[in-house]
Amino acid sequence: MFSIKRIWTKSLFVSLLFLLGLFALGKTVGAYNQSQLASVATLFIGVLSVTLLTGASGQISLGQGAIMAVGGYAAALLVLNLGLSMWLAFILAIVIAAVAGLLLGLAAARLTGPYLAGTTLVIALAIPTLANRFESTLGGDVGLSVDVGNPPAWLGKLLGEIGIEQWQLFVAIPFSALALFSVINLSRSRTGRVWRAIRDNEVAASLHGLNVARNKVIAFVCASGLAGLAGALYGFRGIVGPSVYPIDLSLALLTGAVIGGLRSITGALVGTVFIVFLPDLIGKVTGVFKVSEQVSNYLPALVSGVLLLLTIVINPAGIAAATSQIAKHRHRTK
Amino acid sequence: MTQFITAFFSGSSHGAIYALVSMGLVLVWRGAGVVNFAQMGQAMFTTYIASQLIMHKYSYWIAFVIALSAGAILGSIVDFGIMRPLSGRKKSAILASESMRTTIPVIASLGVLGILKALAGIIWAGEERGFPSPVSTNGIKFGTSTLAFTAFDLFVIGIVLITLLLTTLFFTKTGMGLAMRASALNPEVTRLSGVRIKSVRTLSWAISGAASSLAGLLITPSTNLSPNTLDLLLIVGFTAAVIGGLTSLVGSVIGGFAIGYVISFVNVYSSPENVFLAILLFLLLMLFLRPQGIFGTKEVRRV
Repeated sequence: MFSIKRIWTKSLFVSLLFLLGLFALGKTVGAYNQSQLASVATLFIGVLSVTLLTGASGQISLGQGAIMAVGGYAAALLVLNLGLSMWLAFILAIVIAAVAGLLLGLAAARLTGPYLAGTTLVIALAIPTLANRFESTLGGDVGLSVDVGNPPAWLGKLLGEIGIEQWQLFVAIPFSALALFSVINLSRSRTGRVWRAIRDNEVAASLHGLNVARNKVIAFVCASGLAGLAGALYGFRGIVGPSVYPIDLSLALLTGAVIGGLRSITGALVGTVFIVFLPDLIGKVTGVFKVSEQVSNYLPALVSGVLLLLTIVINPAGIAAATSQIAKHRHRTK
Repeated sequence: MTQFITAFFSGSSHGAIYALVSMGLVLVWRGAGVVNFAQMGQAMFTTYIASQLIMHKYSYWIAFVIALSAGAILGSIVDFGIMRPLSGRKKSAILASESMRTTIPVIASLGVLGILKALAGIIWAGEERGFPSPVSTNGIKFGTSTLAFTAFDLFVIGIVLITLLLTTLFFTKTGMGLAMRASALNPEVTRLSGVRIKSVRTLSWAISGAASSLAGLLITPSTNLSPNTLDLLLIVGFTAAVIGGLTSLVGSVIGGFAIGYVISFVNVYSSPENVFLAILLFLLLMLFLRPQGIFGTKEVRRV
């Protein structure tokens, strides 16, 4: 048994390690990879929301991208119209997305499996069209242009000159570490155990006196808060608009979570790195073989689709489970 | 009044196509316990095959038949290559959990969708292309005025009605149809009475593949063809299936026409921008008021 104190210190240690590791990487790599790392830090929060929702509580959502859009628009509107500071806007984006998640969760708690998947898919397609419906406030197809601004002068003095991409990364890192910290604790807490009980057998869980519907809604609220934060960070790379949060984003988050390992937080990180860097990797390989643009444009989607299927059919618990199983096997044979 | 007639006619012909999509979804859900999100990806792919054949000067009807067979084959491949091995892996920790049993196949079908879209992009490039219709798409002339109803609309409704009739006959009058109905109702007992459940399952994937392939052929003359055009059709078909109760074939057809009218009336009286929101509202309303659908039976849990 883990004592509560030990989980706190352990997760704090892991999150700090994550923070410092990303920070150190961000200091050494070039501008392009800094912006890629910023994507990793941002989308990691999004993938964690899937890990929490689908992995821990067993509810599937194809609409996490739409919740990200809610967070993004909320933060952008708060900064542009009310002149709030970006940091405060990010925090409020979590709250607003969580409220949206509450509404969604109330509807979703009545739904299972395919119904939930279909409904959230419809939501993922419908929410971005709101941008055109309220064009004057939401900016239509173009969206709202927002960015992370310039780094404060004292930080520049401390660290030397900070580029735009590097600043994007530095803004994303603390939030990402915070998300990691909360998800570790949440999944180890009583709430996390309740979610897993409901996921594995709803009837048994309710016979144990657990409120199934309420806990499912709580899972949706937590996951939506995370997705909203991810969406705000994702939009503040330059534009908050319908094209930033397409349906493919929702599917990419799900793909990352599944390939990495739906039930593992390490898996979420592995999956995020995978979805962010896969296009680069394929670009390098196709650069050697000189394939046409038509092929190289669609190759990342093809490869991630194939890997998603292979993961599900051969090793449904993902990369994280595969490596831990290999480790176990070694241990046993020793 | 003319607005109303326009909306009614286009609602009928599009509704017929949505009914096909929805029927395809229901067939696989009943027969194999999977909601196939790759369904319209399969249809997109076979419509590209037809389009390619027509470009190489084959007749429309040859392309038509080949596309339908390709749809059936593609459906069987998805079942044989992915869903069957998946259902054989019940012992894995993730698939053992109750809620994931229906969720994992959904994720798998999304993977298939992604692969089909990417393949279509690689083979036929991503840009939109037109798709021909076998009959005129101009309004039928009635005296001096032109109706909003085209010969193609008539063709669509006719061919969908024939398909529905054939499906009904198949399910009620043939042994195979009986086997399919039985295994949807109780797979274990059906298997014990000597029916090869796995083949029956593959057959429902094949029929569903052919039906959605037909839907793809019928809708693309009015929407053009690109790897993403049929996405909308999937969620419309899903909504229609939910309205009908997801397990009832009759319900799915009624749901298809219902959502067809909703969409075309929103298109005509409001604006096309609101179509997605209308679908969402309609779906949510349905899920709140009658989650089991018009013809569905209420789910009973057994411990």
